[in-house]
Amino acid sequence: MKQLITLNINGEENEISISPDATLLQVLRNELELQGTKRGCDTSACGCCTVHMDGKAVYSCVIYAMAAQGKEITTIEGLGGNGQLDPLQDAFIQAGAVQCGYCTCGMIMSARQLLDDVKNPDEEQIRHAIAGNLCRCTGYTKIVDAIKMAADS
Amino acid sequence: MAGADLIGQSVIRPDAHDKVTGGRGYPVNVSMPRMLHAKLLRSPYAHARVLSVDTSEAEKLPGVKAVLTAADVPQIPFSPVFFCPVESKSLVRDMLILSDRVRFAGQPVAAVAATSEVIAEKALELIDVEYEELPVVFDPEEAMQEGAVQLHETAANNVAKNPAFEFGDVEAGFAEADHIFEGVYQTQRVHTCYMEPRVCVVDCDRAGQFTVNSSMQHIFGLREKLAYALGIPQGRVTVIKPPYIGGGFGGKLDLGYIEPIAALLSERTGRPVRIEQTRYEDFITTARHAIKVYLKTGVKNDGTITAREAKSILDTGAHATHGAEVIMVHGLFGVVFPYRCANKKWEGFTVYTNNMIGGGYRGYGCPQGCFAVESQIDEICEELDLDPIEFRLKNAYQKGDPHPFNPNWSLNSYGYAEALEQGAERIGWNQRNPAGSSPGVKKRGIGVGTQGIWVSGCMGFPDILEHTGAIIKLNPDGTADLASGSVDLGAGQNTVLCQIAAAEIGLEAGQVRMSYADTNTVPFDAPIHASRGTYSSGLAVQTAAAEVKKRVLEIASFMMETDPEELDISSGQVHAKGSPETGIPITAVIDIAESPFIVDTEEGPGPSSPPDLKGTIMGTSSMAPPENPSPATALFVEVEVDTDTGVVDVLRCVYAHDLGRVINPNAAEGQVEGGMQQGIGYALMENLVFDQETGACLAGDFLDYKMPTAVEMPRSIESIFIETIEPTGPFGAKSLAEQCVTVPAAAIAAAVYNAVGVRIKDLPITPEKVLRALGKLD
Repeated sequence: MKQLITLNINGEENEISISPDATLLQVLRNELELQGTKRGCDTSACGCCTVHMDGKAVYSCVIYAMAAQGKEITTIEGLGGNGQLDPLQDAFIQAGAVQCGYCTCGMIMSARQLLDDVKNPDEEQIRHAIAGNLCRCTGYTKIVDAIKMAADS
Repeated sequence: MAGADLIGQSVIRPDAHDKVTGGRGYPVNVSMPRMLHAKLLRSPYAHARVLSVDTSEAEKLPGVKAVLTAADVPQIPFSPVFFCPVESKSLVRDMLILSDRVRFAGQPVAAVAATSEVIAEKALELIDVEYEELPVVFDPEEAMQEGAVQLHETAANNVAKNPAFEFGDVEAGFAEADHIFEGVYQTQRVHTCYMEPRVCVVDCDRAGQFTVNSSMQHIFGLREKLAYALGIPQGRVTVIKPPYIGGGFGGKLDLGYIEPIAALLSERTGRPVRIEQTRYEDFITTARHAIKVYLKTGVKNDGTITAREAKSILDTGAHATHGAEVIMVHGLFGVVFPYRCANKKWEGFTVYTNNMIGGGYRGYGCPQGCFAVESQIDEICEELDLDPIEFRLKNAYQKGDPHPFNPNWSLNSYGYAEALEQGAERIGWNQRNPAGSSPGVKKRGIGVGTQGIWVSGCMGFPDILEHTGAIIKLNPDGTADLASGSVDLGAGQNTVLCQIAAAEIGLEAGQVRMSYADTNTVPFDAPIHASRGTYSSGLAVQTAAAEVKKRVLEIASFMMETDPEELDISSGQVHAKGSPETGIPITAVIDIAESPFIVDTEEGPGPSSPPDLKGTIMGTSSMAPPENPSPATALFVEVEVDTDTGVVDVLRCVYAHDLGRVINPNAAEGQVEGGMQQGIGYALMENLVFDQETGACLAGDFLDYKMPTAVEMPRSIESIFIETIEPTGPFGAKSLAEQCVTVPAAAIAAAVYNAVGVRIKDLPITPEKVLRALGKLD
């Protein structure tokens, strides 16, 4: 039996009819067509589905959409603004931190929380902040470079 | 920056902006109106006969639109491997889309298409399958014994392939040796861990034409294998090239179960059908094969190798698929080729077991061979007190030597010695301490692993497709569209191929765009695999671009009343050679080509140019590369081994690689850094473990399958690119992609030995194995 709920995504209220067991990830991708949030596993292990809920980076694959009611959800589509990239998005481009790019959006969301919490993180803080986001292409080197670059900008 | 100056520039990826803002181009995002979702019912048994499948209850579930069992699908045995023609002798055609015989735990036995994934999953629970369990065999050497359970009637003793090579006189070579070393080296099954799951959407229209979107490394291989398995002509299948996919690394180099099943469900329902694999399904879909290598080497006191004999046992799992080809690459490039030695003998066995089917993975059999060969060299050098670098230089091929695969090719660019020497200097090899001499609980060590002979594509190899093509077309605004079948897996094909086109024509980097392609519109292209993208696809793109440039100069020579030989293009400007600031913009040339023949002006209508200058300026190519030049690699690593916990930490990697010429340094470094992640995972932690009684996968998610995170990776990965300028390559380039994954395990094992004086010969080098070797565990 579907239920009508309202989710605040990227500053907009969305009224949607969902199955109570739908995850936030499923609702974002399938109902709202916000496809920047990716599925890489099903067990809160890869980090591709990372979004912000009330300013904290969370795995949207293990949060029921029902539980996200009344929260402020931010996805990669909600970063930046007025046609401008978030400094992290720009740094990922400039540093060559993007290869296949499948992990990128989740990675940027985790890094965004780090930079919101810590003004000038050191390399160990950066590496631990993205330890819940797996990347198979880059070895993380240029991702760490990009986060440093964004922190400095 | 434009023209030839673009080569060697870290041009920014054309797809990066899209990827950081959401990434629209992945096949996982493809959705179509009225699309159905399908799920596969997979066998819990590793070996069984399917006696009956009752789908009646599932079919009654509201929302279920079609159910497939073995009785509903063509029973045409096929091989799913993309890069050989399906009926070639090299491949083993032993798979069916759905079969009444199950040979591994997880093999699909039925499929359901429904209006949602949830309904499809519920329907699977309503399917009643009656199995007759059969005896199982999981160990390949047991499977080879007389009387073992037989998996396929065509393969006596479960041996699907048994290649052998012999050169010189091995017995005489061992007689000549002062020392003989023997060892057994075991590697494990690991997954490529592409982050985008395997996913497809197949749409069968009313005319029976199938349109396929899939996260794969090869559109033409997918077309051919899908058509073959379905028993239809290739012309009825169109495969759309995705703008990019979310990683492949060799793991998306074969037809899956999902594409033919989606096709049949779509044909049956008249609606598009999507199947997205779960991560668990991905883990049991493809893996680097576990190979056991028995290796025997004879050496003289001075370190000259006199003979080498080896036997390799490859566990191919339930079907031969890639195992039929991996064994050859492993034997030749992993074991036989790397060092000069007149007397060599090798025999390989691709063995069926009730394990999951192996697949392609960066290095394609070479990492398993390299681990054995390079580990044994380290043992030889330690035992005979020889310097591992001098030993290698003494026995390695050198620039100018004939290529060991084809004596008609020479190693005309070959920087193996430079890679070893420059890497050794950077890491401080001369300061390396004797094995186990580092003080304290945490001991440091340095190790080296190398790979000499490797490939830039598959030119010259039996049954393997290598030709490739490109179409480049100039637009009125002076930009160019490049269409090619080469899929960007993430390694940067879109970037590098556009860069090569722009460099050849004389445009700015951003003026060439990778455009739409599908199997109907572009020439055949071999898969993106075998380190072939830059060399082989690069040559095809360069050739098409040269044709574009030639045509531009022909038209410009009419406009400028100059011989075309006197003209050149840079930054989109056609000018006299040596005077780039003069001349006319390329857009003026394109305007002549594209404008009507008769143009009405103030003076009245008249021809704008001779008629033979009309027509869109474009270049095409479809060609095989002339050779298969070898790159060369040396990796030096520094590790720290905690002798209390057994944990090995890789502190530093210095990777030196002869790639001919760097096209894009940032992208090249990215390849190496990612290669280190995969290589370190292989060396230290990754292991796709299966229950030895049931055959069930025990590491089916990223919580149980451990791969390196940012925390476990070394803080320092240094790339040294040796530019030997390959004469046959595009702008001198050869290849890079795979050797950086091939060498880390050997280098790390050697560094662990240097740190603590114990040698681990079976991967991964876990804390448990280290502690056991140190005598700290019972």
